[in-house]
Formats: sequence, structure tokens, C-alpha cells
Amino acid sequence: MSIGILSIIIFLPMVVALALMVAPFSSRITRNAAFGVSLTIFALALYIYTHFELTGTIQFKEFYPWIKSYGISYSLGIDGFSLIILMLIATLIPSAYLLLWNNARSKSYWISMLFIQSGISGTLFSLDLFLFYFFWEAMLLPVFMIIGLFGSGNRVFSTLKITIYTIMGSLFMFVSILYLGVAHYYEFGVWSFALSDLVNITTIAREQKIFLFFGFMLAFAIKIPLFPFHSWLLQTYSNSPTGGVFLLSSIMAKLGVYALVRFMIPLFPDLFAQFSIYFVALGIFGLVYFGIAAICQMNIKKMFAYSSASHLGFITAGVFALNVQGMMGSAFLIVAHAIATGGLFLLVGVMERHLGIRSLSGLGGIATKAPWFTLFFAIMLFCTVGIPGTNGFVAELLIVLGIFHYNPYLGVLSALTVLVAASYMFWVFQKAVLVKSDNDVSNMKDLSLYEILGLLPLAVLIIAMGVYPDLFLYKIEPTLQHYLIDILHVGVK
Amino acid sequence: MLWTHLGYLLPLIIVASGAVLLMLLSPVERFSMERFSLFTFVILLLALGVDIVYFGKLFTAFPMEGLFSKMLIVDSYSVYFDALILSGALVTSLIGTHYFQIKRHFKKEFFSLFLFSVFGMMLLVHANELLTAFIALEIASLSLYVMIGFQKIHDKRVEASYQYLVLGSISGTFFLLGSALIYAGLGTTILGDLGKALDGLMGKDVSLIVIGATFILVTFLFKISAFPFQNWTIDVYDGSPLPVTAFMAATFKVAIFGFILRLMLIDLDPIRDIWDTLFVVVILATLLYGTFLAIIQESLKRMLAASSIVHTGYLLIAFVSIGYAGESASSSIIFYLVAYFLSAMGAFGLISYIAADEHVRVTYEDFRGFAHVHPYMAAMLSVFMLSLAGIPSTIGFVGKFYIFTGAIEAGYTFLAVCGIIATFISIYYYFKLIALMYFYPACEKEGTMIPTLSGITPITIGVIAIAVIWGGIGNTFIAYFPGVDFLIDTARLSYMSLFIK
Repeated sequence: MSIGILSIIIFLPMVVALALMVAPFSSRITRNAAFGVSLTIFALALYIYTHFELTGTIQFKEFYPWIKSYGISYSLGIDGFSLIILMLIATLIPSAYLLLWNNARSKSYWISMLFIQSGISGTLFSLDLFLFYFFWEAMLLPVFMIIGLFGSGNRVFSTLKITIYTIMGSLFMFVSILYLGVAHYYEFGVWSFALSDLVNITTIAREQKIFLFFGFMLAFAIKIPLFPFHSWLLQTYSNSPTGGVFLLSSIMAKLGVYALVRFMIPLFPDLFAQFSIYFVALGIFGLVYFGIAAICQMNIKKMFAYSSASHLGFITAGVFALNVQGMMGSAFLIVAHAIATGGLFLLVGVMERHLGIRSLSGLGGIATKAPWFTLFFAIMLFCTVGIPGTNGFVAELLIVLGIFHYNPYLGVLSALTVLVAASYMFWVFQKAVLVKSDNDVSNMKDLSLYEILGLLPLAVLIIAMGVYPDLFLYKIEPTLQHYLIDILHVGVK
Repeated sequence: MLWTHLGYLLPLIIVASGAVLLMLLSPVERFSMERFSLFTFVILLLALGVDIVYFGKLFTAFPMEGLFSKMLIVDSYSVYFDALILSGALVTSLIGTHYFQIKRHFKKEFFSLFLFSVFGMMLLVHANELLTAFIALEIASLSLYVMIGFQKIHDKRVEASYQYLVLGSISGTFFLLGSALIYAGLGTTILGDLGKALDGLMGKDVSLIVIGATFILVTFLFKISAFPFQNWTIDVYDGSPLPVTAFMAATFKVAIFGFILRLMLIDLDPIRDIWDTLFVVVILATLLYGTFLAIIQESLKRMLAASSIVHTGYLLIAFVSIGYAGESASSSIIFYLVAYFLSAMGAFGLISYIAADEHVRVTYEDFRGFAHVHPYMAAMLSVFMLSLAGIPSTIGFVGKFYIFTGAIEAGYTFLAVCGIIATFISIYYYFKLIALMYFYPACEKEGTMIPTLSGITPITIGVIAIAVIWGGIGNTFIAYFPGVDFLIDTARLSYMSLFIK
């Protein structure tokens, strides 16, 4: 039995984490090992990226039967959409490790990070819904641990809250998955939970299908989070340790959008198209609502939490716009936003370490103390706002175009709302970083070499993707075309 | 022929004669408690070894029909349940070792009683006749009543024992009355014949049989602590010595289900749908009330007792589904029993290990910061909590998967959703413990000595923890080593043996 490359990506961090758990190593060795693992995975991901063929099909497949009596298999594979998220994970996690280099001094911190990486990859590659659910929920345990062990404030309450909240959503998805499995059994006489089999089901009545649709939707909406399922967001983000909030905002939230595309479009193409208007509207509403909420925050972490939710609303709207611009824009914004938000949260983590947790009014004048910090902060910020020349601009432009095609009124609205982000982001930048104030920020130090090394690739990516988006778009386009044309039967270019 | 039949009955014979032998030997001063404990272990292991010979084969037989008529049956089904009961007893004796060493009030007769109750449970799954079943049930219960109250220095024990005795006996009389009514209606008490006689009566008035069977179900619901007969559970579980609680919660339930499934699947099949609505109500109430009780408990042991009521609810969901998805629902019950048995046994066993010292109260608060002092024990306890909560990568998750799939297959999607909601709430009371253990600094109270990891008990618990995880992720990658598939396949096989005519 040979082990496929995707399996290695999933299980390498887990195996290393298990070994480190038992081994009596110091946290430094643990950290170096974790970093080594993340670099290995980056190399493997690069291999996949270069060998990925430009078709809409699923590649690098692996298949082993698991629970045979119920037709459950361990089956993996990636398409263009999962590929970009894989690249995202592979690039962002080493960066994050570099920024946490001297910051996270506990062994279990690194072990949790490794476990999370395993869970995320597993979720990303699963082609069997049972397996997908397996990873989707198992991924939560290390998150639970990392917030509970290393969070601040009322961490135990926050970690229980996010755990219970997300499990609630996923359990409803679980029922939906089971229902699909049973329906498949009744229609074809064999058990299967493979996505490619479940899409063939024709016997489910419309009413039931709507229930199933929302069963899935609930799980993803909580994870993303869409309005009104965001109530876990603020507390979790502000109480999480830097590594946790980084993973939650820049990767795990994106998995919600990913699953939306990967599973809901093939499973419920008609309902997806039919309900799209509501979700585009909901996404845009979320964009505005969270944007306004962000303006009202005085704590940078909380503000970025809302800003992140605001962008995810935008991404969701793009996905539901049912055309190639919208979807491509969403994919692009997933990447752009993951890099930018991830970077911003990491930078805020640096700031917190030097200055402690402070509200905006207690900051100011950091620019003179920490020029590198300011530079990277600015790049990430420009990307979030969507300044031309960054990838955020390309992404937002595409989504706005997509929504315009979908519905001109909503398009106008979405174009205007992009301004919201600009208003609070620049305000933060001005208030916290640029303008001199009486507040004592003498403890602020500039970025260390490790931190600069970690952020540099992100900054380069932001600019490169902003200037030359095709570099990246061509890999994903066939997959999106496949979703739109073959499955949804819309958006012929 | 005689030898084959004796072979079939050998596990029963071994356990029964072991029980008698231990009883006779108990006045002999020369044999210490440790010896008795070891002897019990050997007897159980022997019986399990004999039982395993027949494991995984499809067959059914009435051993020594000339002597026993059709009162006893041996088939793949009973072999499967025997294996479960014997492993449960084995694990109990292993995890109890430490407890019995520390607590000196246990007398040697305890082990004899223990074997008697194991014998009763095994007899119950072999019973092919209502009165035999009643006798088996009473053997098991009577031994348990005494085992609970054995440590008589404790008021709580006596109260638990007495409460269980009184209520259990009353519920037992229902069984007897039910059997009488069924006999009055059908003229036989032998399973198999009951079904045939009932088939002949279809279209006529069967109310006598329905009432009789309902009475039997009352006993069943009482023993598995379903609503509205659940009130004794928390007090009795809480009042019992921990190894006995583990034994009751895990093993006794297995035996009860073993008998009632046999009765329901074969004999009451024609009229089973009469109880559907009743069962739906019972399930909802059991889930609701069990969840409510579990949330408000402060002591860990009481929480586990209350949560066992919730797990009864899940099992009943599968139980009501057997009418419409017989095979998958029945095997899901069997699988879930294994899953629950492992997780609960581990949890109770570990707590009993920690709490062997009399003065430790085992509330949630006592576990604050536990992980920083005893990382391995905390990890094991977390594994059991995760499994009870049904989180992926544990056997509890696979068990829930089977149960809810069976329910949806049977058309009870609504019940599956209710089960899911109960599961969701259960996250709270299971994760609370994990959170307390890990997320707070250690505060070792003065005077509480928690034993270090050594001896047979922690090893057993460790093995159970690995089994729990293996049951959740195990697969066919490792050849010749049973994975998830193995358990459900053998469960299906044992289910099929019920229908061999």
C-alpha cells in the first residue's frame, strides 16, 4: 500500500504532534520540528501546484475503503478550488510560525497548531462526506485546546462557546449527510457517502431537500460566520491567542466558504441557484453590518474580527452570484483576505506583546518607533481595503462585477459598501500608528528578523497577485467553469 | 452430540461452578482477597476463551433439548452477548483490583456474588423461555442488590441497595405478571413458539398478549432506566461502589438488551408497531429528562449516571427503528452497547481509581487543573468524555452514526434530530470536565492522595482508551486486526442467527 501525497500532508503534522506529545522535548525543539513540518508541507504543496493539470477534474485521488458495510471510504482528492486553499495553508502557516517564533513558549501551543493543520488539510481533501464531517469536527478539538489553554480574558467561556456553537451547526449537517446516505441506499441499494455518488440522488422530495440544504448551510454559516450566526465571533477572536485567531480568521473561516462551493453546489444545484438572491443580499448586509460594527470598536482585535466577518460576507455574496467573475473574485478574495487578515492579526499579536492589550485611544505614534512594523501593517491594510496594486483590489473588483451581472441594484450597493472598510481601516492606521500622541509607546520594538522573514512572503504575494493576477487565476478557472457550466448550468462565459 | 452441547454451555457452566466454588471457599482463612480476585479473573478469562471459540460462526442450537426442553438457546447472538458480558466482567474485575485493595470492607463473598450476577446475565441472553428469563434476571439483580450494599459502613450504600431492591423487585413482578398473561393468551412461554402462536391469532383479539408484553416492557424500561422509570438511577449509581456502578451501567444493560431484542425481533414482531407511539414518547422524555438531570449535577459520578439515561434514550431510538430497518437498527444497538460499554467502563473505572480513597469527593471542581498534575489520566478521561459526547475519532461517534443512520433509514428522521439535539447539549457537560481539567492551574487539595500510575488498573484503563480511539478510526489497513468493520459485521452475523429456523 503506497501512501499518497495528500495523505502525507494530512498525517505528517498529526504524527509529529503525537510523537512530540510523548517525547520529553523542550518547547524550542517542538517549535523547530513544527516549523520543519510546515516547510515540508509547503514543499509538497508546491509539488502539487506544479503538477496540477488545468482541468476542472479532481486530481491526486486516493481511495481506501474504511467502513465497508456502510460504503464509507477514505477518499481524497483536490480540484482547483481546494488547490488554492492548500497553497494558502502551506504558505501562511510557516509565516505564522516565524511570527510566533519567540512568542509562544509552550509545547502544547505548537502541538495544537500541528493538530489544527492536520484537521484543516483533512477537511480540505475529503471527497467522502462522512470523512469530511470527521475532520470538520475533529479539527475543533485542537482549537478548543489552544483557546482554552493560551487565551486571554474569559477564555474558558469563549472556548466552550465556540465549541458548542460550531458543533451545533455541524450536527445538523451530520443529520443531512446521514439522510443523503440513506436516500442513496434506498435509491441504488448500496450504501455510499461519497460526494460523487450522493450527487446522483433523485428521489428526495423538494421539501426535504430544503431542510437538508439548510442543515448544511447552518454548519457553514456558523463557521464563516454569516449574519446572524456570528455571536461567537467577537469573544472568541478577542480572547484567542495570536496563533489561534490567525488560524480561525485566515483559514478556518475560509473552509466554510470552500465547503459551500465544494459540497453544496454539486449536492443542491437547483436550490443553490434558487436561494442565491437571499444569500447575496445576506452577504452584502453582513458586509455593511459588520463594517459598521467594526467602526464602533475601540479594541483593534475586535475591530479586525468584525472587519474579517465583513469581508467574509462579501466573499459569500460573490460565491452566490452564480457567475465566473463573482466566484473567481471570491476565490481571489479568500486568498487576499487570508493573507491580509492573517498578517494583520499577527502584527496585532506583536503589538500586544510589546504594549499589552490596549484600546485604540491608548495607542499612537508607533510609526517612528517601528518602521518595519508600519510598512507591513500598511501593506496588509491596503490589501484589506482594496487599494489598486494589491490583490484585494482585484478581488473586490471581480466580486462587484459579478454581483453587478447578477443583479445591478445589489451591484451598486456592494460597490458603495466597499467604502466602509476604507473608512475604519484608515482611521485605525492613522490613530494607532501614524499620529503622535501623549501615550507612552516606548516599549514598542520593531519587528525582529524572524518576523520580517515571516511577513515578507505575504507582502510579496499581495503585490504580485495584485499586479499580475493571471499568475494565479489560470489554475482555478477550469474548476470554477466546471462548477458553473456543468453543475449549475449558468454563467457561460 | 452430548459433548458438543456441553461445549455450547461450557461458558455458563464455568462461571456457575466458579461462583459456587468461591462461595464455599470464602470461609477458609488461608485464601486472601487477592487470591479471590485472581481466581475470579481466571474463571472469567476461561469462560471468555471458550466463548471465543464459537465467535464469528453462524449457528443456532438448543443444547440438551431432552433435559432443558427449549428453555435454553445457544446461537451466534448469545455467543456475541456472552462475549460482551464476560469482557465487561473481566474489565470490571481488572479495574476493581485497585479499589478492592484500598477499601478493606469488601469480603470475599463479594466475588462469589459477582460471578453469580455474571452467570445470571449470561443466562438471560441464553434464555429462550419467559420464566427462565425471569429467573436469570432475578439471579443477576439479587446479586447486584447485595453487591451495592456490601460496604455497609456507608448509609448511602444501604439506601441505594434498599431502593434498588424495592423498586427492582416491583418491576420484576411486572415481568412475572406479563409472562402469565402471555401464557394465558398463547398457551406457551417458549420463544419462537410464542411468535408462531401469535401469527395464528392475527386478526383476532390479542389484547391480553399486548397487555402482557407491555408489562414485560415495563421491566425492560425499568432495568435500562428509561423514562418514567429512571428515578432510581442516579441515587443507586451514586450510592454503589464505583466498580459495581460501572458493572451495572455497562454490562447489565447489555444483558437486558440481549434478551429483549430476542423477544421483540422474533416473537412480538407481528404486533410490534402497537408500541411505536409509546416508544417515541418514552424516547423524547428519556432524552429530555436525562439531559436535564445531567446538566444540573455537580458530582461527576452523578453526571455519568444521569448521562447513562441519555444514552438509554439513544439506544431506544435504535430499538424503535428495528421495526422498519431491522438489520441495521439491531446491529446498531449492539454496536452502541459496545461503544457505551467501553466509554462508560473507562470513565467509571478511572474515577474509581482516582477516588479509591474514601474522602475524595468526585465533583467537577475536584478535577480543576487535574491535567497539570496527571497528564496521562486526564488524557484518558478526556478520551472517554469525547467518546461519550460522540466526537469523531472515538468509538462513540461511530456508534451514534449507526444509530442515527438506522433511525433515518426507518423513517424516524425526527427522532434522529432529537437525538442530535441531545448530543449537542451533552457537549456541555462532557466538555465542562475537559475544560476544568486543562484550563485551570492545578490546585491540589491537602490530604488528598491520588495514586500514581502503576498496577493493573491503569493499564486496563489505558487499553480501553486505546480501544475507544481504535474503534473510532480503526480500519482494515492493518490486516488481521479487527477494526470498526469487524464489530458491526459480527453484530450483523449474530443478528442473522436469530432467524435461522
